[in-house]
Amino acid sequence: MAGTGKAHLRDSPTPILRVEDLVIEYKTKGQLPVQAVSGVSLEVHSGETLAIIGESGCGKSTLGKGILQLIETQSGSVVFDGVDITKLSKEDLRQTRPNIQMIFQDSISSLDPHMTVSSIVEQPLKVWNRGNDEERKNKVNDLLRSVGLDPEVVGDRKPSEFSGGQCQRISIARALTLSPKVLICDEPVSSLDVSIQAQILNILQEMKNRYGLSLVFISHDLAVVRAISTRIVVMYLGKICEIADPDTLCETPRHHYTHALVSSVPVPDPTIKNRRAVLQGEPPSPTNPPSGCRFRTRCPAATELCATEEPQLREASAGNFVACHHPRS
Amino acid sequence: MSDLISISDLVVDFDTKRGTLHAVRGVSLNIAAGESVGIVGESGSGKTVFSRATMGLLRGKRVHRTGKIMFEGTDLRSLDHDQIRDYWGTKIAMVFQDPMTALNPVRRIGSQMSESLVKRLGMSKEEAKKRSIELLSQVRLPEPELALAKYPHQLSGGMRQRVMIAMSIACNPKLLFADEPTTALDVTVQAQVLELLADLRKDMGMSMVIVTHDLGVVAGYTDRIAVMYGGEIVELATTTDLFANVKMPYTEALMNAIPRIDRKRGSSLSAIEGMPPDPTTTHTGCAFAARCPYAQQKCRDEHPELVDVGNGHLYRCFFPIGGK
Amino acid sequence: MGLKGKPLGYKLSALWFILCALMATVLRLLPLPAWDYNDAEALGVGMFSKGHILGTDYNGVDQLSAIIHGTRISMAVAIISVLFAMLIGGALGILAAYARGFIDAVITMYFNVTLSIPTLILVLAMVAIFASPDPFNPGYTIPRILVLIIAITFVAIPILGRLVRATAMSWAGREFILVAESIGVKRRQILWQHILPNVLPAMLSISFLSAGVVMVVEGGLSILGAGATPGSSWGSLLARNRSDIALTPHTTFIPVVVISLTVMALNYFGDYMRTKIDSRESRI
Repeated sequence: MAGTGKAHLRDSPTPILRVEDLVIEYKTKGQLPVQAVSGVSLEVHSGETLAIIGESGCGKSTLGKGILQLIETQSGSVVFDGVDITKLSKEDLRQTRPNIQMIFQDSISSLDPHMTVSSIVEQPLKVWNRGNDEERKNKVNDLLRSVGLDPEVVGDRKPSEFSGGQCQRISIARALTLSPKVLICDEPVSSLDVSIQAQILNILQEMKNRYGLSLVFISHDLAVVRAISTRIVVMYLGKICEIADPDTLCETPRHHYTHALVSSVPVPDPTIKNRRAVLQGEPPSPTNPPSGCRFRTRCPAATELCATEEPQLREASAGNFVACHHPRS
Repeated sequence: MSDLISISDLVVDFDTKRGTLHAVRGVSLNIAAGESVGIVGESGSGKTVFSRATMGLLRGKRVHRTGKIMFEGTDLRSLDHDQIRDYWGTKIAMVFQDPMTALNPVRRIGSQMSESLVKRLGMSKEEAKKRSIELLSQVRLPEPELALAKYPHQLSGGMRQRVMIAMSIACNPKLLFADEPTTALDVTVQAQVLELLADLRKDMGMSMVIVTHDLGVVAGYTDRIAVMYGGEIVELATTTDLFANVKMPYTEALMNAIPRIDRKRGSSLSAIEGMPPDPTTTHTGCAFAARCPYAQQKCRDEHPELVDVGNGHLYRCFFPIGGK
Repeated sequence: MGLKGKPLGYKLSALWFILCALMATVLRLLPLPAWDYNDAEALGVGMFSKGHILGTDYNGVDQLSAIIHGTRISMAVAIISVLFAMLIGGALGILAAYARGFIDAVITMYFNVTLSIPTLILVLAMVAIFASPDPFNPGYTIPRILVLIIAITFVAIPILGRLVRATAMSWAGREFILVAESIGVKRRQILWQHILPNVLPAMLSISFLSAGVVMVVEGGLSILGAGATPGSSWGSLLARNRSDIALTPHTTFIPVVVISLTVMALNYFGDYMRTKIDSRESRI
């Protein structure tokens, strides 16, 4: 699997966000630092919904936070609008904040329990001194309405009075206040009920269309991702396995991990049986990743080459990139 | 087929500061020996309270439980706490969502497993150890001898769940309750655990109840499915019949709201607007009426009862899909 | 925030505090014998005696008057030391929790070093050094009470600071802090607007509980001779009277009861706030 591998990056049209060779480590007590993200490169094009999918420990959430520089990155670059934000000073970085926003999985914890809903949504405007009181109030009300909440009813209440789904709506409204160009969503619907999930996904889609956003959608749920994204990046243990458009990825996955992932997702249809090519074993710990291809310990097609040489991302078909020495055909 | 467990009109209320919480509003369900039943519902549907109440796990002054729970001829409600505990782990076992909270974090796996074997089956320590290794192999845990010496936090989520399953099948229970057994697991591990449960069930002839919110999980692993909403069963049918001839609008709406891996991109997700009903209120009429696209005035005024289509397919709706 | 609908303990504690406030202010004006007047005709009389409703001690000092007089100092020591300890310790704790890294290391080291010195020895030493007459300037001694308050405050800072740091850290790890950073809120503002308001209830709760501890500590220090001037606070009253416990048991009993009731009321309030915080947390 490639950590080094930029075959999938394109120069034109210029992507709105380009990540190159990003490495993110976290310190462990008394031991060497562990790499959560090991040299990942990807880009987001204007107007697309790029999904980053993987299971626990693959580094996708860390990647999301690292792109925003909310956590420290060790090396690599994140270029937004021509500027490498990893090299900016604290204050310059802060100035870029309005452009890229993020919403998180725990919607209730994402809201300050002491603030009212209106003040939460208004806060970004106040921080950046946009508009006067009247204008701000109108904008807040507009945003709340666009996510399906009645500002008269919810404005003065505190987050603890709302459900997970409603809190997520508030978070989305708050994230859009500054009209960002990119919205990173870190597992935004994973802790919500199924019927609410669909509501939030629809809102995200609507907001994307209305505000011309580009979305980065981080999730572990391949079914959700297939429904809403334009391109999918599959991660395993800090590296990228495969990149493809959703239909290709789910119908003809080339990487063995992707294949296992796709087969494991339960389908609500009792007539469809035997989809489950069960993958044995557990993902290895990121503290001691396997040499060469990190997936080789669980891969049915692993050979000696996989242990010695790390596979690079290669184009298998138009727009479909795989990092594998023996991809499926 | 005789019924292994027969639950009649189970009602569970909680006294809370905000008033009485009607978690389960009259649920009846029969489970035959060797059968696998799925209970599907979202949060607030009452499914977890229902399974815990059936197991007898809800105690305290603030819990009110009425209705009969007949297990192999005994009414579980008439048993006191010590007697119910004899049932747990021997005749009825439960697997929970988060094995980390079900396992004692300061004791090694081997010691926890041996304890229940020694206590319940009267084994000696050596016999218990041997049996523990056998059980761990049965649940496909790699290197079972080494696992015995580990603490729960040293194992991954999937492995802990297997240990839980091993402990629960140790005494060959007749009925296994699995409450969201795979929700906290990665999808590839989830697949392994579900396959394991299905194989164990076949080998041991156990009945199983899987409580979950995931229709995909129940589709592949159950004989019958009960859909719960607002504290009641709103549809009950064999798995194939439920998906082929869905009757209750909520079930249909749920199926349409779930993104599917086998559907192409761009097929829109139809959301269910609104929110689940508040369990502290008693509502007149159908609990789903406020969110139902087919609701009519009758649905708001009268409370629908369960209707049998004829082949055991029950639904609770005045205007079912596909007509009566 | 009235008394209606609150549990019984809350009402009782509130009443006791009101009584203490009255004793510290208004009740001094009651027509009782002065707190240091020795009534030669009523030496060591028991409770409910004529003219001395709580009795007198071995020297004829009216106990009710003594208690009323002692209220001020006892409350002052408890309230002022906790107030300053919480202001300083709390500020340091929050700063350490949010800033992490080097600042956290320095502050934590300060806490740990201070905590490693046996608190009692430290307070005794400070009182002995600073509250004694200065041999080079015998006319002036720093008022004993001031030294006492400063010593207790100094010792309490790391204790309260660590508690506040722990609470603040759990808030600093919450998602909405990350959200605030991602919006572009400056770190200082995050501290003031987001962390402080959420830590404040815990700080209040800890303060109440600590005040109770300080009150008991003051009593202990008085027994060791390092407290306030004998008789001027509840603790020193207890210290003075305890040797007479065989002759006039009520003179020991009364200050103990008064201190206990106050500590119980403080503990009750502290606990009550904590349960309110916990129930709010668990809903979230």
